[in-house]
Amino acid sequence: MSAKQRVDAQPAFLLHSRPYSETSLVLDVFSRDYGRVALLARGARRPRSALRGVLIGFQGLELGWFGGGEVKTLARAEWQGGQPLLAGRGLLLGYYLNELLVRLLPREDGHPLLFDAYASALAALAGGAGDAPELRRFEQILLREIGYGLSLAHDAEGAAVDGQLRYRYLVERGPIPVRGDEGMPSLSGKTLLDMAADDYRDPCTQAESKGLMRQLLAHYLNGKPLQSRRVFMELQEF
Amino acid sequence: MVEALRCLPGVGPKSAQRMAYHLLQHDRHGAKRLAAALSGALEVLHHCSRCNNFTEQEICERCLSSRRDPSQLCVIEMPVDLNSMELTHAYNGLYYVLMGRLSPLDGVGPRELAFERLLQRAGDGLVKEVILATNYTNEGEATAHYLSEMLRARGIRVSRIARGVPVGGELEFTDAATVAQALIERRDY
Repeated sequence: MSAKQRVDAQPAFLLHSRPYSETSLVLDVFSRDYGRVALLARGARRPRSALRGVLIGFQGLELGWFGGGEVKTLARAEWQGGQPLLAGRGLLLGYYLNELLVRLLPREDGHPLLFDAYASALAALAGGAGDAPELRRFEQILLREIGYGLSLAHDAEGAAVDGQLRYRYLVERGPIPVRGDEGMPSLSGKTLLDMAADDYRDPCTQAESKGLMRQLLAHYLNGKPLQSRRVFMELQEF
Repeated sequence: MVEALRCLPGVGPKSAQRMAYHLLQHDRHGAKRLAAALSGALEVLHHCSRCNNFTEQEICERCLSSRRDPSQLCVIEMPVDLNSMELTHAYNGLYYVLMGRLSPLDGVGPRELAFERLLQRAGDGLVKEVILATNYTNEGEATAHYLSEMLRARGIRVSRIARGVPVGGELEFTDAATVAQALIERRDY
């Protein structure tokens, strides 16, 4: 996977960066065709570095890089813009998306579909309009792209999901109908069908799909909690 | 010793080795002074109980000064930002140093930054306005946003330093993101 690369004008987003040596940064970027790539941005922390106003998270960038190792060298960065900066709550939700990508997406694996879903989720967060559908859509596409697609229209036995029944979702198998009250968390068949149809208008669908995605993501994150979620929850307490 | 020196930012194994050999071979006196300065600083320096900056006293000189306006409190991320603010000679209020910024991906939240202490400080009854001067990065913005909500909920007036084209700056040489934001945040003139 670490063959010599020379990439130019690649659409990308900055997910995270950390200081490296005196004046440089190591970037974790999500690019459209090459997926997550680690890039060394030389001199990016110098006081008058031209990269300072460019390497901003949640903003469309166009990056060029070269190199063969695990960490490539950033050659060129251009700000694409056209989208207001995230603010307030939207920022925290943006960090949540970034943490999901950093934790779940393997390096150097291109996912153009997921990239587009990320871009449109950010646009929705910047617009401040109802963000729940965009987040759920992004989470679903993320799981599908890394090979854990959800089964929503059919249950674990292959039968069509019935909007009148209640189901329990088994990780990697799919929904199974719940008969009576088994005291286990369950969700309605209608929620599953709504999710399959990408329709999040019903508040019940919004609440139940959020619970389902949290359960599934926790499984794929190996039970290790998301830092951005913890910070978000703590901020609500003040 | 090499291992110990590597805890400094920007010091890798090579530079740590060079420093260690230099101190031991050529500058043993300097090494003694460094050791004394380090342990001395660690012993006497702690956080000012009012502004959270480093000080040798319980409350630092700036916070005790009668020439400072106690009705304004400027919140900054790091002690170096205080120097930048003081260089302006345009501010005569007091400060609060957060010693960091919200950084969700690194696990830095309101607990780690002790938001509670700042809220207490701002609620002393004398502070009329809190000026948020955290950096204009995503992390600084997130920090400012949440602080503003918490402070406003406690009935304190909150303002944020403005951003835009630098003084003496020409549009031609200003980065596009800055010009875009300056345009979005333009004001009547």
